[in-house]
Order: sequence, then C-alpha cells, then structure tokens
Amino acid sequence: MSVRDLKGGKRYWVLSACLVWLVFTLFPLYWVAITSLKSPVDVVGGPTYIPFVDFQPTLKAWKDLFSGARGGFFSTFWASTIVGLSASVIATLVGSMAAYALVRFPFKVRLASGIIFFIVAMGGYLLGSEVFGVNPAMASIVAFCVALALSIFLNRFALPGAVLGNDDIIFWFVSQRLFPPIVVAFALFLLYTEMGKLGFKMTDTYFGLTLAYVAFSLPIVVWLMRDFIAILPVDVEEAALVENVPSWRIFFGIVLPMARPGLIATFVITLAFVWNEFLFALFLTNSKWQTLPILVAGQNSQRGDEWWAISAAALVAIIPMVIIAGLLGRLMRSGLTIGAVK
Amino acid sequence: MTREDPVKHFFLWPAVLIVLVMAIFPLIYSLANSFMSLRLIPPRPARFVGLENYADLMVDDRFWQVVSTTSFIAFTSVTLQFVIGFAIALSLVKRVPGADFFRVSFLLPMLVAPVAVALVARQILNPTMGPLNQLTSFFGFSNLPFLTETKWALGSLIVVEIWQWTPLVILLLLAGLQSLPEDVYEAAELENASGWQQFWGITFPLMLPMSAAVYFIRVVESFKIIDTVFVMTGGGPGISTETLTLYAYQEGFKKFNLGYTSALSFMFLAVVLIISLVYLAILKPHLEKYK
Repeated sequence: MSVRDLKGGKRYWVLSACLVWLVFTLFPLYWVAITSLKSPVDVVGGPTYIPFVDFQPTLKAWKDLFSGARGGFFSTFWASTIVGLSASVIATLVGSMAAYALVRFPFKVRLASGIIFFIVAMGGYLLGSEVFGVNPAMASIVAFCVALALSIFLNRFALPGAVLGNDDIIFWFVSQRLFPPIVVAFALFLLYTEMGKLGFKMTDTYFGLTLAYVAFSLPIVVWLMRDFIAILPVDVEEAALVENVPSWRIFFGIVLPMARPGLIATFVITLAFVWNEFLFALFLTNSKWQTLPILVAGQNSQRGDEWWAISAAALVAIIPMVIIAGLLGRLMRSGLTIGAVK
Repeated sequence: MTREDPVKHFFLWPAVLIVLVMAIFPLIYSLANSFMSLRLIPPRPARFVGLENYADLMVDDRFWQVVSTTSFIAFTSVTLQFVIGFAIALSLVKRVPGADFFRVSFLLPMLVAPVAVALVARQILNPTMGPLNQLTSFFGFSNLPFLTETKWALGSLIVVEIWQWTPLVILLLLAGLQSLPEDVYEAAELENASGWQQFWGITFPLMLPMSAAVYFIRVVESFKIIDTVFVMTGGGPGISTETLTLYAYQEGFKKFNLGYTSALSFMFLAVVLIISLVYLAILKPHLEKYK
C-alpha cells in the first residue's frame, strides 16, 4: 500500500462520489439498451425503467432493423466496417513507416522550400483556373505536381532561412489536428466534385472516403507510433545492420513485431475515430458509402418519436465500439497507453 | 541512434504525400477560393474579389454570435471536464475501492459515436416522456424546455459534452498521475503535510505542464463540435446554439456559397490560432515558474 492511498472515512466519501459518476456514465447507455426493447406503448406512456417489471421487453425493433424493413441497414454497416478497417490498417501502416523514419533517420527540410510549395501551388491554381480558364481539377493537379517537384528540387540547394529537422516534421504532422476539419472537408468536397467532372468519381466512393480518413488519422498515428517506436531497444536493429539486413526488412521483420502492442493500441484508437466520424462522411458521401453516424443522425428527422427504432439504430453504432473498449481496457491495464501521452 | 540510408525516403514519403494531397492542398485550394466570389445557387461565374468575403464576415453578426456560442460551449465544458476528470483520476490513482472496475467503465462514453449520444440525450431530455422530466417533476419542476430554450439548450449541450469527453481527460491525467515519483509523497508524509497541502504543493505543480496540454487539446477539439449540436438542437432555437462548423456547413452545403464558406473556415482557423497563442502566452510564466 502506497502513502498516496486514501485512508479512513475519506475513502467512503470518494467512493460514493465515484458511484454517482458511475450512474451518470452508465445510465444513458442502460437507457438506450432498454428502450430498444420497448414496444411503442411503453415509450409513449412515460418513462419505464426495468424490463419484466414495469414493461414487457420485445425484440420488435431489432427484428424490423434486421429484416431491412427500415432501409438499407446492412449496406451502411458494411460500408462503415470496410471503410473503418481499411482506413485504420492503411493509416497505421503508413504512419508507422513515417514514425520509424522520423525516429531513426535524420531529415532536413528547408522552410523556404515549404513556402515555395505553398506559393507555387496556390498561384498555379489561381493562374490556371482564372487566367487560362483550365478546368479547376486539372489546374489543381498540375499546380500540385509542379509545386511539389519544384520544392523537392530546390530543397537540395542552400536556400536562406531555417532548416527544419525531424521534430519539426512531427510537429507538422500533429498540427494537422489543430485545423478545424471543416476547412479540409469542404475543400475536399469541392475538389472531389471537380474530379467527378473530369471523369474520376470520388464523392460517395470507397476510394474517396477511405483516402480522406487515412489522411485524417495519420497525424495521430505518427504521434502515437513515434513514442512506441522510440522506446524500442536499438541493439537488435544494430545487430541486424551488422549482418547487412536491408532496412525495409529490419522494419517489417523486427521493428513492427516488436512494436505490436503499440500498433494494436494505435489501430484501435484510429478505428474508433473513423467509426464515429461524422463531418467527412456528411460531405463526401450521399448514398452508397454512407456510414453509420450519418444514418443514425438521419433517424432523428425521419422517425420522430419512434424511440424503440432509433435506439436500436444507435446501438448498432455503439456496440462494436464498446467491444473495442473492452480490448482497450485490457491494453490499458498493462500500462501501454502511458507511453502514448509522454 | 540515427543512421543514413536512402530507403528512409521510401518510409516517410507515403505519409507526407497523403497529408500533402488530402490536407495541405485542400487548405491551399480553400484559401484560393476564399478570395473569390463563387456561388452554385444561383450559379454565378467565379470572380476574384480579394478580401471582400473576409470584410463581409467581419460585419456578419451571425458569425460573431456563432464564435461566441462556440467559445462558450468549448471553454465551459472543457473546464468542467478538466475539474471532474482531475478529481476522478486522482481518486482512481489513490485506489478508491473498486478502482479497476471504475477505470474500465468510466472510459466507455468516449468511444460512443457522438451522434448516437445526441440521440440518446434527446430521449432522456424529452420534456414530457423522458426520465429526466420524471426526476425534475418529483422536485416540482415539470416539462422543462431542455432543448427548446436557449439557456437550457446550451446547458444540455455542455452536459452531453462533459458526459462524452471527461473520460478522455481521465485517461490522459491518470497516465500522468501514475508516473509521479512516490518518494516526494513519502517525504511530505514524514513532514505531516495534510492531503490538501500535498495536492497543492506536489501533485498540482507536478501535473501542471500535462494539465495545460490536456486542457489545450480538449479546447481545440471542442471548437470543432458539430455532430452533437446537429442532432440535438440543429443549432436552434433560432441560431442560438449554432457552432462554427455547423454554420460553415449551412453556408456551404445548404446555400452553396462557396467563396464565403471558404473564408468562413479560414476565419475559424484564425480564431483557433489566436486562442492557442493567447493561451500559451498566459501559461508560459506559470510553466516556467515550476520548472
């Protein structure tokens, strides 16, 4: 027992406060669970609390949901699952590679070449679409490629101004989270629409939504994986280097397996983010690839006070993540998330 | 250990490219659009107008109201989240009976989709059929306008935010509290320092840098709020609970006022940056004091 532990009567005050918070935390979840089992009469007649005691539970809402009588629930669930899983897998993999590179190899980026990228991309786009009257999507693609090529090329030369190192690149990744997502979501919606006019359908496609979610998750993946990789012992890698094992095999064969607990935690956190995400899905999908949060939000206006149906729909979005929470809880107890917040 | 190997570019570039294409370029594109007059309905040819959209925004009453509503929701709810979260994290780290059970169950809300939370909140807050109405009726207040009167609606949104995001504060602070050195407390115990003195003399100052970071992260995230408001009040009554993201969505997606919306989202970015800088400036002397 440590000196910081609570002693005497204080323990019971703290315990009762925690119990109050527990009721506050769990009641809404309990409420949505029992409401999905109520019949219309039990909802409209005022609040009822305990199944079999003050109302007779029924599976009607669930049967309606699974029979598809209420619209395409399965296709939405499928869309959410496949987009969530693939975006999390790709983001975790790509982000871990970047994190590994940033932990183990030195990088130098000149601030000036970053600014050149910004100016050339924006100027090129405005010039292309306003002065030469090129289609906006085409103008964007050309401006982007020219700006990127130019700034990479110019980065070789001794440009004046600050030189950014690995920590700055990590900060650049993380700072993406600071930006209000509406800026990017709205611009992506416009860009996707313009791409559609060129013949590449991006809105309401698997590819478009997944790509947006990968980009949206990368900052947090790089941030988390940086810590998980930094605490790995380097001697195994050094031994492999002496044996002349190529770097890519060191990464996939040694580093990734060693970082597995961190990878799992990162994957789970990313999946929860993507699964619950609302804004990008609202802008970038409209029917086929609509995700659960959009469908659930729509219940409100479509169903009015049909709470039994609304609750069942909400639970479909909630339950998978509660299972995930169980997994995360187990990881937490082994103290893994501590490294994540250092 | 750092080493040189050209393969490093192969590791870093996929992530950089994706972020450049999907986050930085849209940002640039949006900034370019914000200098134009661009409307889809009624369709109007794009025209370069310079800072006109920004000038319009500065005198747009609705914009300023939305900024103040969003700030109010963000700062009030995050402050409460922080106070409650700190207290709970402290009791968990001090091994309140059943701490392991609490630790897992307290985390649940942050994993629930905000739209689902909002739907459940609508049911609980229903002024005639909800369980909360039954509780308040018991105390003699029935049919309170939880979602239909400005003050109540703002309060309800804040409570829902607290419900959903206090767990994250608990999770982060708990990790920090667990890593505090034990011997300092043992020394304090020998000096007969009371629990209260130990908190203000040791725990709080040691946790200050981390607390500042957690508070900051939560405020930035809170400013982005849309889903909860979208479902619970739709910004109403009137526009009194409308947040920045919701306003941008209405302008962009309902009115298709593209140039204006782009300018609006950039002003939003500016608001967040200004708040961040002011926050850091206020905090800096305090952080240095405890170094």
